[in-house]
Amino acid sequence: MTKQITIASVVWLELWRRKDLYVVMILMISLLGYLLSLNIFGMSSSHRYIMEMGLLLSWLMSWVLTVNLSSRQLPEEEQRGTIYPLLAKPITRGELIVGKWLGCWVAGSTATLLFYLLTSAVVMMRGGTLHLITLGQGLLLHCSLLGIAAALAMTLSTRLNQDAAATLTYILSVVFFVFIPDIPEILVRENTASPGLLSAAYYALPHFEVFDMRRRVVHEWGPAPAGAVGLSIVYALAWSLLLLKFSWLAYQNKTFRRELTV
Amino acid sequence: MAAAIETIGLTMTYRHRGQFVEVLKGIDLRVEEGTACAFLGPNGSGKTTVMHILLGFLKQTGGEAWVLGTNVKQAIERQRIGYLPERPQSYPFLTGNELLDMAGRIFGLRGRKLKERRQDLVEMVGLNDAARRRIGTYSRGMLQRIGMAQALINDPDLVILDEPTGGLDPVARLDVRCIIETLRGLKKTIFFSSHELSEAELVCDHLVILANGRVVAQGAAEELVGDGERLEPYFLKAIGARRAA
Repeated sequence: MTKQITIASVVWLELWRRKDLYVVMILMISLLGYLLSLNIFGMSSSHRYIMEMGLLLSWLMSWVLTVNLSSRQLPEEEQRGTIYPLLAKPITRGELIVGKWLGCWVAGSTATLLFYLLTSAVVMMRGGTLHLITLGQGLLLHCSLLGIAAALAMTLSTRLNQDAAATLTYILSVVFFVFIPDIPEILVRENTASPGLLSAAYYALPHFEVFDMRRRVVHEWGPAPAGAVGLSIVYALAWSLLLLKFSWLAYQNKTFRRELTV
Repeated sequence: MAAAIETIGLTMTYRHRGQFVEVLKGIDLRVEEGTACAFLGPNGSGKTTVMHILLGFLKQTGGEAWVLGTNVKQAIERQRIGYLPERPQSYPFLTGNELLDMAGRIFGLRGRKLKERRQDLVEMVGLNDAARRRIGTYSRGMLQRIGMAQALINDPDLVILDEPTGGLDPVARLDVRCIIETLRGLKKTIFFSSHELSEAELVCDHLVILANGRVVAQGAAEELVGDGERLEPYFLKAIGARRAA
């Protein structure tokens, strides 16, 4: 595991030194600062509104950060040519992929933790109270989902360039988050031509909605059953591993660009 | 003497825009352990492709190749190999020291041993003052030198250098040549490609000349080039004769 951690540490240094995280943090602070200054119809429970907005911003920003970071790792190694001295060392392509994924996932999760802390601080400043167990569960599931997002972006980037991989990851994420959970309703409501195909998609594709605990946190519904949270984490891990396996399959025999331009 | 590198009938064919391009047309070469071998040839002759096959980045379409006694179709002993690519680039956000630490850790070096090795290499390549600076601020020559240092972090038995002096000014070229001579003194096997014929003459025991995907000449420098003659006319004749054929 040392090799993977070494590769991951380079990803963390990249995020830190390229200042992507600073930009996102400054944007987040500005937006939350603006929300903090608002007096929404003089409502006493406006902290819920701020929590909802804060969590939404956390989701969006951690998503952008993780997907961008993950989708550029392998294409940049190839473009810079650093892939050659790296693979000349005793590290396999599989270990490289796992190391990169680990780096992106931990970086994305750390940023998410910072966003949650910031949101919580603003909510408390507005007189709100925090339900730490529920919030912790929400954070845990959010980070688990980022693992799938990082693995998906990395899988696509084995064959696509950085921009294409990132764009496709965003599109697929919206499909998995919005469209897939609605399939049963669509099947009942509409007279579709291919119900079998839709049912297959419902069971075969990942369900991102199971990781979203924002409403439970905002409306203070209390913690989710520990078993459900645990199962969701196992589900995220299984999907991440499956996608990493696809990455490895796509990358193990890949011929890099230089050879194609002989 | 055992062979550090050996290829028999190595061929490589690419499909490019619907047509098959034969880049290597049966390369036979042998580099003995502990020698310095220059791999010469014009651009596009297939030097880098041979190196990439030896390192396992590419799979040959025909023939066999062995590196340190292991067939390249199997897992080669990367622990004993150092590699500097053509036009080395690096991670601009890392410092020279951090790059060497990363390379060392992949080879399993840790703690004091890694620190000492890193310090030795930084001194060897003459980057003492710059090692704490970000690589993004390095000049071309410094990039080459830090690339050389990362290739040597594991104290390799076989060093493969792809045009180590390409695009460097005369002073930087001299520095790289000094490093190669130091490695020769340490009895490392050095296999390097170059366009600098005078340099190859100076630092190598063995020459391999490649043209149009074929080895057109190989042997000890003094065997190939007669007394009082220079390599350049011989090289031009070798690649020209082959082209004419």
